[in-house]
Amino acid sequence: MTSFIDYVLGGFGSGMIIALMALALVLTWRATRVVNFAQVGQAMFTTFIALSLQTLTGSWVIALVGAMVAGALLGVIVQYLVLRPVKRADTSGAIIATFGVLIALQAAAGMIWGGDSRAYPQPFGNTAITLFGREWPVSAYDLVVVGFAVILVVGLTLLFTRTNLGLAMRATAFNPEVARLSGIRVGRTLTIGWALAGIVGAVAGVLVAPTSAISPNSFDILLVFAFTAAVIGGLDSLIGAVALGIGTGLILSVVSGYSDSSNAPVVALVLLAVNLVLKPEGVFGHHKARSV
Amino acid sequence: MMRDLLRLPGARLVLHAAVALLAWLLLVGITGMVDPLMNYYIALMAMYATAMFGMTILVGLSGQVSLGNGALMAVGGYVFAVTTLNWETVPFTGIAMNGIWAMLFAAIGGVLIGLLIGGLGARLRGPYLAGLTLGVAVGVPAIANRFPELLGGETGLQLTVPYPAGGYAAAGEFVDEAFTEDFPTEQQDELPTEQIEDLPTEQVEELPTEQDASGDDLLTLDNFPNEGDVLTEGDVLTDGDFSADGDDLLTLDNFPNEGDVLTDGDVPTDGDFSADGDDLLTLDNFPTEDELPADPSAPDGALDPEFAVDPDVEATFDGLDGLDAGFILEQWQAVLAVSVACIVAFLALNLVRGRQGRQWRAVRDDSVAAAVAGISPGRSKVSAFVVSSVFAALAGAVFAQILSYVGPGAFGLGLSLSLLVGVVLGGRGSLWGAVIGAVLLVWLPEFVLRAAGDRGWEEQVTNNAPNLIYGLLVVAVVLVAPGGIVGSLQSLVRRVRRTPASPSAAGLAERVDAGVGKDDS
Amino acid sequence: MLAVESLTVDYGPVRALANVSLQVPAGEVTAVIGANGAGKSTLMRTLAGLVRPNAGTASLEGQVITGRKAEDIARMGVALVPEGRSTVPELTVEENLRLGGLWRSRAERAATQQEVFDLFPILGERRTMRADTLSGGERQQLAIGRALMCDPTCLLLDEPSLGLAPLIVTQILELVKKLAEESNIAVLLVEQNAVTALRVAHTGVVLNLGTVVMVGPAQEIASHEELRHAYLGY
Ligand SMILES: Nc1ncnc2c1ncn2[C@@H]1O[C@H](COP(=O)(O)OP(=O)(O)OP(=O)(O)O)[C@@H](O)[C@H]1O
Ligand SMILES: [Mg+2]
Repeated sequence: MTSFIDYVLGGFGSGMIIALMALALVLTWRATRVVNFAQVGQAMFTTFIALSLQTLTGSWVIALVGAMVAGALLGVIVQYLVLRPVKRADTSGAIIATFGVLIALQAAAGMIWGGDSRAYPQPFGNTAITLFGREWPVSAYDLVVVGFAVILVVGLTLLFTRTNLGLAMRATAFNPEVARLSGIRVGRTLTIGWALAGIVGAVAGVLVAPTSAISPNSFDILLVFAFTAAVIGGLDSLIGAVALGIGTGLILSVVSGYSDSSNAPVVALVLLAVNLVLKPEGVFGHHKARSV
Repeated sequence: MMRDLLRLPGARLVLHAAVALLAWLLLVGITGMVDPLMNYYIALMAMYATAMFGMTILVGLSGQVSLGNGALMAVGGYVFAVTTLNWETVPFTGIAMNGIWAMLFAAIGGVLIGLLIGGLGARLRGPYLAGLTLGVAVGVPAIANRFPELLGGETGLQLTVPYPAGGYAAAGEFVDEAFTEDFPTEQQDELPTEQIEDLPTEQVEELPTEQDASGDDLLTLDNFPNEGDVLTEGDVLTDGDFSADGDDLLTLDNFPNEGDVLTDGDVPTDGDFSADGDDLLTLDNFPTEDELPADPSAPDGALDPEFAVDPDVEATFDGLDGLDAGFILEQWQAVLAVSVACIVAFLALNLVRGRQGRQWRAVRDDSVAAAVAGISPGRSKVSAFVVSSVFAALAGAVFAQILSYVGPGAFGLGLSLSLLVGVVLGGRGSLWGAVIGAVLLVWLPEFVLRAAGDRGWEEQVTNNAPNLIYGLLVVAVVLVAPGGIVGSLQSLVRRVRRTPASPSAAGLAERVDAGVGKDDS
Repeated sequence: MLAVESLTVDYGPVRALANVSLQVPAGEVTAVIGANGAGKSTLMRTLAGLVRPNAGTASLEGQVITGRKAEDIARMGVALVPEGRSTVPELTVEENLRLGGLWRSRAERAATQQEVFDLFPILGERRTMRADTLSGGERQQLAIGRALMCDPTCLLLDEPSLGLAPLIVTQILELVKKLAEESNIAVLLVEQNAVTALRVAHTGVVLNLGTVVMVGPAQEIASHEELRHAYLGY
């Protein structure tokens, strides 16, 4: 029983990171009805930028901010140069294009920073917290990760529900024509959505990097987990992405704890498959036909 | 005239068979004329083409973007490896196992996994399907880790290429503990273009000094179990090691699908090879000096195609040159891959140009209209998936024989992405596109490596350049030429043909029809 | 006043509008009638900036609007209620309305929103409900309400009666007329239902195969026997 609780708690940090990456996927999906499979590539790239900044300045905060700025820029560039010009009728095209971006980004990162795994410095304590006379499988760093995730989720929720920009983004996502007829600058709104997703992805990348090393391909598996979480959460739902992201992290942690971490991808695949069969629109999704 | 002939019943079948047969004769002829390295490339291209014929059907005709076909290849490769390594005879029949049976089992594996994933995916659209198949691409190869005894875990399984009359090594024989532990896990992440070249190269690379020169990867090579055997010339198979009348072996007639081959006493069986099977592996490792530069960890000088030939390697060449007609491993692998590719091409041609192809396209373009016309969209999508899965499984079985190895790293996400890249660049929806894509996948990296060698690029730039080019090309193709190379050529030809004539009345009528058809809905 | 000058629109080889000229004076309802495929929706969408014309211009109070982006035209005070109930179903009633005048100041918006609630009381009652829970008629009211939120000088209504009960159609059209007269808005109304449309309109425009076949006072068109037979089919 103790070990079960440990495994569950141990999954929180990674669950939060999956949640953030899922959040990024949801943001681009809501903005442009495109699942950005290049999202982890962008996050990987900005994390390398963060690592370079960290080495240069020694400051974790500067590195994080730099990654966020780079993430926003990269999101804007990818949306503006790649996704915007894809012909609307070519539904496969958008998906294929995002994979093209992923391949190119990974290769570019390999060119610039090399293909080897690199350690990312731990900014805070990574030792287990001792409380109530017992060691918990949670470190100070995990708490920082959770804190960041909560801030981002709350901030984004407020942005979407309380601000004009948020309303414009939601309207644009659901019905771009009505949005345009209402005077909303749709193109700009879409691009902002991608920039936001880029920022969230960048934060996720910088947060995950110290717990696993970073290499051009190291986030591939994160893409699968995040996609699983985002889809099960309903792709449109911020709350869903976060809840399912954490959930996925916990499940994977328990599975890895009782068997082996190499089973995690298989488990994710099973979760995804079962969900897509039982509830194609996701747990938090809207039950309506979707034309993709 | 031609058109009328084609209307005759069975005419298309004959035509397609003729095309496939001609291609086969031509390619097999070529394999007899080129060096082992070229044969290795031919084998790879045929293998990619086999898998990508399936991608053409799945992505192009049926409109389902799949990233999982690399994993479907893994299914084929593993079924091939596991059945050949573990079964002496075909279950329930008592017939001796051989390569053809193993390929057949691989194809059956392909049908099953295709039904499973296609069934799951048939209801899914666009990104959902892409995501599911992405999960397949990452999750399925990981299953190997779940069953280390049977599937070899992270290390994978070594296997011998069934020669015409096949002999197989027992499971696990080549995998020792040290090897298992030191096998680099990063390898899993590498894209197959590197992967493909890595594996054989690493096996080939024998010189301890080179290993010292090139960093961490090489630890594994120290542990490579058959190192010693590989090195010495004496261990290399020569005519004498095979049956006395070795000439029989060299002809294509002995291709194991012929029943008599199995029972024919003249043909060598396991026993005719050295008993411990280790020697067989030396043929896998047939060293081709040009492969060496492909190793990312090789010293810079190795990138030069003119790289000095190692004396040992030279000797090996001599040994095999004596064989004349074609028992060189690479040639056999190329013939095998080409044969499978031609058979698959024949099947694909019939499917694509026939009723089934029209149904796939109809469902892709408008599933509601197709359903109204009596085509079941679900069944059509699943059938496309199953067909592509069978092709992928066959390609996987061929791949296993080209590498003489199966392992999760060889069938990773990178392989799946490569297939997508190839099919998109060549031209979605065109079988020719698949062929061109296969050629691109094999030659672009070679071309870049060569260019890099000439310009003295840094290694990490060189190694990543092919993928950077692929990625950018994919984006460019989607944006400006969705039909890929074939589509662009076709529209170019059309434009050239049309220019002299003024827009014809028929053409105009066609466009008017199209416009009215889009009536406000 | 909205003035349309020799507007021509092609969809590829299909000419949807040919040389259409008409004027929509402020404070009046101008009804465009015509058979299916006459080009009515095309006219509306072109005026709103969703379709680029091949030739011709449209101008609002002397300012050319053709060639501008839809979002800019909306901000200039041309509000289109497109065919079909064009609300955003996933948003609440209030959010749909807020959307209509997002770029205006909070105070202006609040004032207009109150006017809309006065006009369509049901929307006030349902303000926090999602738009997809509204009935068809309510949703049409919401769509018009959203268009009004930008305080338009020109209102383009494309078949507001689509799928509504005759009683509600009459109600809505009466409201539109009142709106035009009281708020001095130039209303361009497209209707299949010619009788009802011409009853509330000041001026009628008959469109056939993309060309204007007749412009005149609404009553005159309503009572024009041959015209009815030839183009309106009743
Ligand atoms: N996007 C489009 N592409 C091609 N042709 C179109 C398009 N939209 C409309 N058309 C054509 O233009 C013509 C006018 O269409 P429009 O929608 O303006 O007619 P309408 O008068 O609104 O008809 P209805 O009363 O049925 O709404 C029709 O022939 C239609 O087929
Ligand atoms: Mg219309």
